Amino acid sequence: MSIKLEQLCKIYNADTDFPVHAVNHLDLEIKQGEFVAVMGPSGSGKTTLLNMLGGIDTPTSGKVLIDGNNILQLHDKQLIAFRRDNIGFIFQDYSLLPVLTALENVEFVMQLQGHSEQECRKRATDLLIRVGLAEHLHKRPAKLSGGQQQRVAVARALAPSPKFVMADEPTANLDAKSTAELLDIMQQLNEQEGTTFIFSTHDPRVISRAKRVIVFEDGLKKEDTVQTEVSQ
Amino acid sequence: MLLKLAWRNLWRNKLRTSIVLGAMVFGLVGVTLMIGFMNGMMDNMISNTVNWQTSHLQVHKKGYSADPEIHKTIESSRGLELLLDKTAQIKVWTSRHLAQGMIASARSTRGITINGIDLQKEALITPLAQNIYDGVWLDDKGRNPILVSKKIAQRLKLRAGSKVVLTFTDKNGDVSGAAFRVRGLFETPSSAFDEMNVFVRKADLQLLSGIEGDHEIALLVNDIKQLESVKEKVRGAMAQSNSVQNWEELQPMLAAMSASMASSNIIILVIFVLAMGFGIVNILLMSVFERTCEFGVLMAVGMQKHKILQLILLESTFLGLVGATLGLLLSLAALSILNVTGISLTAMADGLSAMGLDTLLYPQVPASDFAVIFITVVLASFLAGLYPARQILKQEPVQAMSEKH
Repeated sequence: MSIKLEQLCKIYNADTDFPVHAVNHLDLEIKQGEFVAVMGPSGSGKTTLLNMLGGIDTPTSGKVLIDGNNILQLHDKQLIAFRRDNIGFIFQDYSLLPVLTALENVEFVMQLQGHSEQECRKRATDLLIRVGLAEHLHKRPAKLSGGQQQRVAVARALAPSPKFVMADEPTANLDAKSTAELLDIMQQLNEQEGTTFIFSTHDPRVISRAKRVIVFEDGLKKEDTVQTEVSQ
Repeated sequence: MLLKLAWRNLWRNKLRTSIVLGAMVFGLVGVTLMIGFMNGMMDNMISNTVNWQTSHLQVHKKGYSADPEIHKTIESSRGLELLLDKTAQIKVWTSRHLAQGMIASARSTRGITINGIDLQKEALITPLAQNIYDGVWLDDKGRNPILVSKKIAQRLKLRAGSKVVLTFTDKNGDVSGAAFRVRGLFETPSSAFDEMNVFVRKADLQLLSGIEGDHEIALLVNDIKQLESVKEKVRGAMAQSNSVQNWEELQPMLAAMSASMASSNIIILVIFVLAMGFGIVNILLMSVFERTCEFGVLMAVGMQKHKILQLILLESTFLGLVGATLGLLLSLAALSILNVTGISLTAMADGLSAMGLDTLLYPQVPASDFAVIFITVVLASFLAGLYPARQILKQEPVQAMSEKH
């Protein structure tokens, strides 16, 4: 499974005298199993790009092809179902449901897929153990540290077995230790399960781990390099 | 999970939810007590009217009620009386000989209805015999005893033992009259009734009027549900020249008030539910708008919009369920206490008496009213969730996620 962008544009304030080209005629292809970092300064359009890749934002023009199918042609309901089954999201501010425990947060997205309670419980527990939260299954987000919350977010993103995980500056609020641990987990999942990770970041710690780095500026792809030497 | 999520979301801001619930609970208690008070007042007015004045059914000669002339006695009453004695659904009945006349004391004169009564049966059909405040109930002893109300006694300066003169038109159209001695003073809940009625022995009045028959037969049934069937039975057994009327026909104003009570209760409930509904909409708007970003995340991770709608509606319905349950439980407790203590309105005794009401009222809310209030509140809460849900659902995930509170 691959994601291909064709002539993708996103223009904010298009009807005004000062339109902002957040993404400007972008062509890009990301194949399954890649570990990609999209880097660039603030306001360069990284998040907008990730949102369009994940199907939660609509481009002004262009195509988002997943296995050759343009997801922009899907109906609202089909698009939500597509996201649910194929895309995992990790947000900068974790975005966990504060009234649910770590385990329930992870189970919840699986339940949306219609899995049985038992299945959800088993996979959610396994994932949380894998991200090192065996002791914190029944704690609510407020009782967890930032790093722990982001690990729950990773487990939640992976719970529905997505093909792609979009991570929008996942380490922005984490200390060095938490960042290293989180990147270890994601790198492991990428290598062992072939899950595609696409990060937007300007964190050098993330960039050093990425196999492919795309430099983005003013809505344009400035560089696209494959890193042969990746930090472990 | 959706139920769990909705329930926990409801209690996210405990203070805010508690304030809304408090408003709902106190509003509901107020509405329920108001409805209970109105029902209690109406029931009291009806039961006083039935017990003291009309009974369940009355038989008269046709036209008597409009023009109560002394010669308009019930025709063929003997056969009817035999039927009344045999009918098991009838609890008790009595017949009265009535005359419109004047009562005069040494001080004053008043127009009144003279009720010639059967002493034993009258004591069973109305509570009159148990409500003599000065003197005693009528008996066979003595010549021309009379019961007058406290009101008449005050106006005519009478007391037990005083002498009065009754005058009325007899069967020949001549003015007839006789001296009576006050045997006792009575008081009913209705000052209007008290000012217009005196009671004498039927035989004494018949002797003076020169007429044998009765003008009124009044009866109580065992079960009010059988009232109409008894009425039809009575109608079938009596002469065509007579008429039988139930209490509602005898007191049409009271019947109309009773019928409109249901409407006024609904109006009270609707006003409360509307006010409460806007309150819930307001609180839910605050609650969902501060979670707009969260709803965006839910949409992003694959929660279908109908599930988000369900979530918001569940939250609003839970709010209604908790509010209605607490409100009605508290109302039930308050009603239980007030049903023992009653609501004392002695300060308004004169006004209440004019309306035929007791000064101690017992609020009544039937189970069906509780059910209606409960369902209405829960339904209104459910509907109140629709608008906030719509505001969220029309947003795209990325747009919703960009809303930070």
